[in-house]
Amino acid sequence: MSAEKLSAGAATAVTPRTSRPLLARRLRRVALHLVLGTVSLAMAIPFLWMIITSLKTDPDLASYPPGLLPRIWDWDNYPEALEYAPFGTYFRNSLFISLGHTALNLALASMAGYALARLPFRGSTVIFMGVLATMMIPTYTKIVPQYLIAKGIPFFGGNDYLGRGGHGWLDSWWGLIIPGALTPFAIFLFRQFYLSLPRELEEAARIDGMGEFGIYARVMTPLVKPAIATVGLLTFESSWNNFLWPLIITTDTDLRVIQVGLSAFQQADQNAWAYMMAGTTLATVPMVALFLLTQRYFVQGFANSGIK
Amino acid sequence: MQRDERPRRTKKFGHERGRVALLLLAPSVIHLVWWIGIPVVATFALAFTDYDILAGTVTFNGLDNFQEIFSDSTWNASIWHTVVFTFFTVPVAMAIAVVLALLLNVKMRGSAWYRTAVFMPHVTATVAIALVWMWMFEPRLGVVNTMLGWVGIDGPVWLADPDWALTAVIVVSIWKGIGIKMLIYLAALQAMPNDVYEAAKIDGASQVRQFFSITLPLLKPATFFVLVVSIIDSFQAFDQLYVLTPDGGPGNSTTVMTYEIYRTAFKEFNMGAACAQSVVLFAFLLVLMLISRRLTGKEDDVR
Repeated sequence: MSAEKLSAGAATAVTPRTSRPLLARRLRRVALHLVLGTVSLAMAIPFLWMIITSLKTDPDLASYPPGLLPRIWDWDNYPEALEYAPFGTYFRNSLFISLGHTALNLALASMAGYALARLPFRGSTVIFMGVLATMMIPTYTKIVPQYLIAKGIPFFGGNDYLGRGGHGWLDSWWGLIIPGALTPFAIFLFRQFYLSLPRELEEAARIDGMGEFGIYARVMTPLVKPAIATVGLLTFESSWNNFLWPLIITTDTDLRVIQVGLSAFQQADQNAWAYMMAGTTLATVPMVALFLLTQRYFVQGFANSGIK
Repeated sequence: MQRDERPRRTKKFGHERGRVALLLLAPSVIHLVWWIGIPVVATFALAFTDYDILAGTVTFNGLDNFQEIFSDSTWNASIWHTVVFTFFTVPVAMAIAVVLALLLNVKMRGSAWYRTAVFMPHVTATVAIALVWMWMFEPRLGVVNTMLGWVGIDGPVWLADPDWALTAVIVVSIWKGIGIKMLIYLAALQAMPNDVYEAAKIDGASQVRQFFSITLPLLKPATFFVLVVSIIDSFQAFDQLYVLTPDGGPGNSTTVMTYEIYRTAFKEFNMGAACAQSVVLFAFLLVLMLISRRLTGKEDDVR
């Protein structure tokens, strides 16, 4: 009700009175739905076009002007696309890496966030400031040395103890998973959630003789499930959609993630549009489904990243 | 005896807490220092060196890298393209986003559906989305030129035309960027204090007046935030440019700073020059942040 009141002004700058006749209100609603419906359709068209294209046959794709719907719905495009390019492998790699990132980020960030929120110790503020600072570092201010560090990890990929001679973590699961496994934003978000828990809980546990680690793991963390859901989903999403890092550190086809695989497929064969759109659909649909099922947490997380 | 026990116990707890804090923080701190702290410092250091990636040797060469990149016409063009890209992408997407947020803030049936549709592009991968748009921009069979044909316009070849390639990328970026901006505005609108509007209503302020005197000023912190974040994002846009217009587009017409950094570092393996380019990009972002902060005033409630 409050939302209606305060935005009504924006929606109906034309009608100055609050107590306007019912008909005017109805018309206003219809107009609003028309505008929003059109915009939503414009936002959805690329997705619809992607799915429609992925189901078209070759003659359908080549017909001019292009028909809106396929004349024959060619569901075989999907299994054929999986044979034409190793989308299945890409898909599996992406899933593996995204799950790895999510698990590691949840574990590490919740630990750090808890320590910063609930455990008083010298230097706590300094570390928190450091975390905030790393949050604001633009990607391109660190990407080149990150690559060099990954290449120079000692004793990996043929490197000597000084990190020379081999390729280190390039073209390896280590390089794909470890560098991106922690986001400072996750630490920040966990800290905010842990801060909101009542002090009495940990006091009670402490009096019962529980250790500090037990309080973190068994008392406090089960109470920040919304934080776990939010961080988990945001991590999974950004990991699944990540492109630049896997692009620069892998050359091996077997290690390609789906985004890099799609981009390579596009540069290799621009004419297999139906297969490409089938691959794109496979890359997109899991994220869309996950988003639709868990919108609340996504929206909370994104909104929180905007407003403290 | 009984009285002695309390302080001792607290002290013991204090020690344990400090120790556990260190244990809990150690992995994260090491990770952040190793993968963010050291790289940032290294970028600034390597910008003044010649890094031989094969031998692994680093030699100081002063400002040579900066001289080299600024005498490269492609790099200078890339700065200009980045500015143009940002100049057209950010304000248009912000304007659409704020209007949508205001409309979506009206309580009504279906608003969740509309919100989802607008936000969807943000959660899907830029690469996947860019591929779809690439197919839509296909000159003959693409849906964009087909629709233009309905209104009698003979569309360009878009991504293959040096005059239109950047425009096409801007269109995709606006489309992709509306959702998150809309969401931040919507969150700001829903956090607005209701009593101010009540008071204004009692004073007889019209809704138009309420909008301009209350809603817009209250949206200023959100606008500042969206502006800064969007500019930073836009200066760092890479995925859609890489996919839609590979190799910097037709005649280098869509090379942006990020693409040049990528090319210098990972195609030419000239790490020193790439770091110098990263430093320039960082300087741009810093200046832009300071300017926008000055323009919109210091808003303490935003970060």
